Amino acid sequence: MRGVLASEWLKLRTVSSTGYAIGAATAMIALGAVWSFYVGGLADERGSVRAAAPEAGFLPLVQVSLAVLGVLAATSEHATGTIRLSLSAVPKRGVLILAKTGVVAALTLAVSLGAILTTYAVSRVIAGDRSLGFNGTAFANDLPGLLASALSVAVLALVGLGLGFATRSTAAGIVSVVSLLFVLPGVVRYLPSPWGQRVSSFMIPDLVPQMAGVRFRSGGAWQDGMLPPWIALLAMLAYAAVAVGVGYWSLKRRDA
Amino acid sequence: MSVLAAEWIKTRSVRSFYLVLLVSLGTIGLGALAAWSAVAMYEAATPVQQARARIANLEEVVVIIPQLAMGVLGTLSITSEYATGLIRLSLAVVPRRWPLVIGKAVMLTVVGLVTGSAMVFATFFVSHGILGGRFPVPTFQDQLPTLVTTSLTVPVFALLGLGLGALLRSAAGAIALLVGLVYVIPMIVGHLPDPWNRWLGSVMIGSLPRQMTGADLTNSVFGSELSPIAAAGVLLLYAVLPVAAGGWRVCRADP
Amino acid sequence: MWNRLEATNLMDVIELNELTKRYGDTLAVDRLSFRVEPGHVTGFLGPNGAGKSTTMRLLLGLDRPTSGTAHVNGRPYTSLTKPMREVGALLDANALHPGRSAYNHLLCLARTNDLPSQRVAEVLELVGLAGVARKRAGGFSLGMKQRLGIAAALLGDPGVLMFDEPVNGLDPDGVRWIRGLMRTLAAEGRTILLSSHLMSEMALTADRIVILGRGRLITESSVAELTSRFASLEEAYLSLTAGDVEYGSAAPSAPAFDDRITR
Repeated sequence: MRGVLASEWLKLRTVSSTGYAIGAATAMIALGAVWSFYVGGLADERGSVRAAAPEAGFLPLVQVSLAVLGVLAATSEHATGTIRLSLSAVPKRGVLILAKTGVVAALTLAVSLGAILTTYAVSRVIAGDRSLGFNGTAFANDLPGLLASALSVAVLALVGLGLGFATRSTAAGIVSVVSLLFVLPGVVRYLPSPWGQRVSSFMIPDLVPQMAGVRFRSGGAWQDGMLPPWIALLAMLAYAAVAVGVGYWSLKRRDA
Repeated sequence: MSVLAAEWIKTRSVRSFYLVLLVSLGTIGLGALAAWSAVAMYEAATPVQQARARIANLEEVVVIIPQLAMGVLGTLSITSEYATGLIRLSLAVVPRRWPLVIGKAVMLTVVGLVTGSAMVFATFFVSHGILGGRFPVPTFQDQLPTLVTTSLTVPVFALLGLGLGALLRSAAGAIALLVGLVYVIPMIVGHLPDPWNRWLGSVMIGSLPRQMTGADLTNSVFGSELSPIAAAGVLLLYAVLPVAAGGWRVCRADP
Repeated sequence: MWNRLEATNLMDVIELNELTKRYGDTLAVDRLSFRVEPGHVTGFLGPNGAGKSTTMRLLLGLDRPTSGTAHVNGRPYTSLTKPMREVGALLDANALHPGRSAYNHLLCLARTNDLPSQRVAEVLELVGLAGVARKRAGGFSLGMKQRLGIAAALLGDPGVLMFDEPVNGLDPDGVRWIRGLMRTLAAEGRTILLSSHLMSEMALTADRIVILGRGRLITESSVAELTSRFASLEEAYLSLTAGDVEYGSAAPSAPAFDDRITR
């Protein structure tokens, strides 16, 4: 297993798409800094502003970039035909997919946590003691939200990995992840109440604040979460588990 | 004309085309499902609640699905040629490259327009049939301009996908960028302080169909700073600019 | 450690028993049974679509057999814990990530079976790619990709080797190099299954021949026996597979085809 993990790590870091994806994700830090300078300037004119926190506002950028990384970790093997070599070297499908899951989860969690915490720190330093709407709370209070955001990125990367194995197509894999992240929550929100709210609370974007147990804005309105944090956490992990499970099943059942 | 015919054959002979059509038209079913669940809710509600019940125009909600699907079809129409090496063959039989790009663009416009309007109009009629006058919904005459402008966004997505695919030559990169342009950036724009959220919100694709009709947009999540003509111009730019840039790349670079 | 002669290779056999693979309506492999023994090169012949590549994929556990068994060293491939140390295969030389270097491509494979990185350098030297080891594999010619694929097969110093069309795209020097390599590997006591369409080359390289047609076994014989019964190995092949050509391009069905289009 150690050898297979080392191999998957080597595969991931020797393709340029990994670099692009990490680059796009960490662009959050620069964008967050620009954002903080901008709203800081507004605050100097107006006294105070109510601006969104950059680590929350730019989170979809990190989510999409690293979900694409997850999809490519699976589909680039099918696109290039190296999946046959990989399966010849590691004939047990479960071991191969477990190693990929471990490496993709570890890398995306590390990158997203790094990007989110750095953006948080940089934006608070730039904000200083001005009142920008996002910098009034203590780090200890914000930490659960930051961790939940980073976890959502890793989960989306694993959803991408699993659906990449299931669809064997980069386009279909990315579209599936994007549907889960943007399209489905957008459509579900328009279901009549209370169904819209009930189903929405299980959508990935809404699970993030619910895991942290904070009030959040969904469909324009501020609300308390419907789910207790531990249920939200389980629901989030279930997304990854189900997607990777489907990917494993597809890899095991179908001819390579 | 023969270039167009060839592009049409290339498109309809691959599986992804039917998948995209299926997904696009499947959204009619999704709209019907939403309408049906709304009716079930309505029937279970008290008269007071029934009098206050509102529902969104479902065809404007679910159109994001065919938009994305057509964007992907547009992307794949060029990136799959680069991925399989077919592009060299295509350029060997159509050595002048602009006709190749324009052939793809015309084909995608037609496919996108037909699929988009079929889906938008069908969702309108199906959902209204199911709702059966239970909710205060606009009449066909009132909604017609919006139905038309909403349908128009679908081929724009197909062309946007084609342009990005030709620019990046990578399905993953182009689709990720497409998603970034249509989902991620509007979300970020929504967080911007006034007046930037209104100004930039007005040029987001999602806000254009309504602005093109000149409707009252005081409750829009986007901005509404553009005149109908200006909004139509911006929508056109979303299609023309990427195709021009992508076409330039196809013409300049070695395949 | 990498000297083959120190290892016992009594085990190094490929064994198919009633192996069958069906894709929808078509039988790609039809109740195929044969054995490939160590110590010589076994040529694997058959027209396009006869089922050679499918058989190799089934042997490597990539496709699941509809029925029957394909065993290597007495076991199904998917039950091997360090498969590269027992079996090496070249199926498709183009199966590589274009952006990855030759060295990293092989290192990705070596890591999975706990093979040292020094072994990667050795096989690159062996196939003559040491000078371009750090170059992007996507820029390689087909001949270089074939060499890289052979290097991957040899990584674990396995006793059983399978090569699907390894001489495709090689220049005459490369073809001669493959011939020498195959014979050397067999002389070291390994089991070699080699498919090719180049009959003259096969006659020079192989000792035994297995011929497939429409997924079935047509002949299992020695080269010496075939060349004594027919004028050449090519004659033997064309006569034996005459009824089993898929696309109607061989001698018996060609006149009928011509009739149809001239009428």
